[in-house]
Parts: sequence; C-alpha cells; structure tokens
Amino acid sequence: MKVGTHLIWAVVAGVSGLFVLLGYFIEIEIIVAMRLLLMRWAVLIAAWALILGIINILYVHFIKVRDMEPGWPYSILLMVALFVTIVFGFISVDNEIMAMIFNYIHLPIETSLMALLAISLAVAGFRLVSQKRDWTSMVFVGTAFLVLLGTVPLPLFSDEVIQEFTGLRNWLVQVLASGGARGILLGVALGAIVTGLRVLLAVDRPYGD
Amino acid sequence: MNFVGMVVLALFIGGIIVYATIGRRWPAVFRPIPGYDDLGVAIERAVEAGERVHVSLGTGSVIGSDCAPALAGLVMVSKIAEMTSASDRPVVVTAGDAAMALLAQDTLRSTYNRINASEAYSPDAGRMLGPTPFSYIANLPVLLDTEKVSVNVLAGSFGYEGALAVDFGNRQRTFSLAGTDDVQSQALIYATAEDPLIGEELFAAGAYLDQHPIHRAGLRIQDLVRMIIIGAILAGTILRTIGAFS
Repeated sequence: MKVGTHLIWAVVAGVSGLFVLLGYFIEIEIIVAMRLLLMRWAVLIAAWALILGIINILYVHFIKVRDMEPGWPYSILLMVALFVTIVFGFISVDNEIMAMIFNYIHLPIETSLMALLAISLAVAGFRLVSQKRDWTSMVFVGTAFLVLLGTVPLPLFSDEVIQEFTGLRNWLVQVLASGGARGILLGVALGAIVTGLRVLLAVDRPYGD
Repeated sequence: MNFVGMVVLALFIGGIIVYATIGRRWPAVFRPIPGYDDLGVAIERAVEAGERVHVSLGTGSVIGSDCAPALAGLVMVSKIAEMTSASDRPVVVTAGDAAMALLAQDTLRSTYNRINASEAYSPDAGRMLGPTPFSYIANLPVLLDTEKVSVNVLAGSFGYEGALAVDFGNRQRTFSLAGTDDVQSQALIYATAEDPLIGEELFAAGAYLDQHPIHRAGLRIQDLVRMIIIGAILAGTILRTIGAFS
C-alpha cells in the first residue's frame, strides 16, 4: 500500500513537472494549456499553503506559551500582532490603522534590520581579516576596500585621485567581478537544472513517501 | 519549438542515466568541500551535547524561480534528520514560504518513517517563520536562542537578509554553513559564515552527504556541460579575435 501511494505521488509530480517543462519548449496548444492550468493550480495551492503556514505559526507559539518555554512572552506578542493585523487587514487593506502599522512599526523595523546588516558586515570584514588569514580572504577584503574608496565621497582628496579610484572601482566591478559573477551564475544554473530534474525523475521526493 | 532547450534537456537526462549506470564501475572523485566535512563533525558534536541543528530553507517560494536552492536544502534536511534522529533534540527546519515549510514537514516525516524513528517527528519541526524576508529574519534570533541551536545551516534562497541570518547564528556561537543562489548574497555570506558554499556547491549537497548514486551522476553531468560551455566560450573568443565573425 505504501509503495502504491509513493508511486502515485511520484507519477503526479513527475507528469505535472514534465508538462510545465515541455510547455516552455514545445508550442503545442494542449501542452501550453496544460502548463498554464497547472501553474494556476500551483498558485492556488500556494495560497492555501499560506493559511496552513499561519496555522503552523500559531500552533508553534501557542505550544510555547502553554508550556511557558523560554521566550514565551515574545510568542504572545507575535500572536497579538498577527491577530491585530489580520483583523484590520480584513476590514480594509488601506485603512488608517493598517497604514500606521506599516509606516510606524513594519517599515522602521525593516530599516533597522538593514542598518544592523551594515554594522554586521563591517564587523564580519574585520573578523575575516583577523581570523581567516588566507589569500582569498585578503583579496576579498582588499577588493571591498577599493570598491568602497571608489564609491564613498572623499572630501580630502583631489579630483584626479578620486577619478583614479572611481576608474579602478569601475574596472573591478565591470571586468573582474562581472566575469566571476557570471562563472558563479553558470554553476548555480547547472546545479538548479540538475536539482529540478532529480525532482522530476522522483529521485528527490520533497513531497514525502 | 525550442530545439536548443530540448537538446540541453535530453543531454542532462541522458547524461544522468549514463553516469548513474557507469558510476558503480567508475566511481567519481570529487574535490573536497570543507563545509560538508565540518558539518558532519559539528552535527555529531551537537547530538552528543543534546543541542539542536537548525536548517533554514530561505525565503524563496516553491512556485518561484528561486525554489531550486531550497530543494537542494531539503536533500540536506533528509540526511541531517537521519543523523540527528537519535538526539533528544532532532533537527528543526524553517522557511519563509508556507509551502516550503510543508515540504520540510513531509521530508522529515518520510525520513523518520524510513529509518523507523517516527517518534522523532513533530509537526513543529518544520516551521514557517515569517512570510517576508525581514519578518523571517526578525523571528530567527528567538528560535536560535530558545531551541539551543548549535549548528546553523542555511540552504535556500536568500537576499541580503542571509548575512543577518548567519550573523544571528554567530552571536549564539553556532557552527554556520551557508549557501544560496544569489551572487551578491554569496559575497555577504562569504564574509559572515564560518563555512560558505559558493556557486554550485550548495547543489552538490546530496552527492557529498552520500545520497543516491544519481546525485553523484548529476554532479558529473554538470561538470561535462560546464566543460562544453567553457570550450564554446573559448572557441568563440578565439574566432572573434581572429576576425572569423566579421
């Protein structure tokens, strides 16, 4: 019985994936129509999955509060915030309270996290130099420093020096970094193709057995 | 009809089948990736210490073009679930996308069933942390702290928030292995993670963690196609230089 269900999921996933993939390569009406239909279904399923995801969030945090696990007050805060935004979101997406929540809570938190990222990267740069003293780390930090010199305003330097730094930065970004990035992207693309094919061939079954 | 696409697809499928067939007779030798070696050691240490392994599948969506790294991450989830099934604290998996969290739950459930450790499965072991990149990241420090995480694996699609995810782990003194598909984020992860995975290294997880022979065959066909592309680029450069196209 288990083998049977396992085969059904694998066949459904494989055939669906094959139709979507072939829809990009072959312009036969029925295959293109099937691709569009399956993609619409996928969007619908993803929307329902979001509801399950929210139930999952509530379940995890409810258990934390019930068992008074460490950090349970944060879980109460999360559940209250979730409840408030859902209620006001259902009333109307563009009401005043939703705008306030977005402008005075959501946006500042996201901006703060971006600021935190800048500090974290500066610390990581110093850590890289002090802990990983290999040549790749030195090249990485050195390049980052040169790109910064060519980007930030340098009021104490003359225009000629600033132009030199800007030219060097442009050469680093457009020649070396661009070439390296394309090589990395090529590897990522090949890896992504093989990963997708493994799911299509039912070798990897993320949907379970 | 897109013939080039069909030919590439046929090359990949044919190559995977051929390499999987001959792979038993001529096993492939892969270059060492320190991150995967260190991961095994770090997981063993976490299991012995009764600490948790956390795998993040990133903030990409199942129906988006950025799902491939998370699918590679799910292969890691399966292997890590096997390794931590005997622990008091089995692996916990988080995602920004709800459907990805469901896939994580399915992967965990089927892995534990396969190794006869179904009691290790818990529905909250696969979680959605937050639907947007920054809501996901904002929830992460609490999880890392309260779940006593000592191994932080990031295998999915991340933007700039990936570096913050690693940094939050570093603050908890976790071992961090991180890989993503976004080139700019890879640079940030290189600076922050103890063991960064660059380029296709994330997608090689299955082959390096000793999974199905097709994972190893997949790596070999990737290398073959890469060589073909490099050859084509070099040939094009030489022909262009000598003026063959003018």
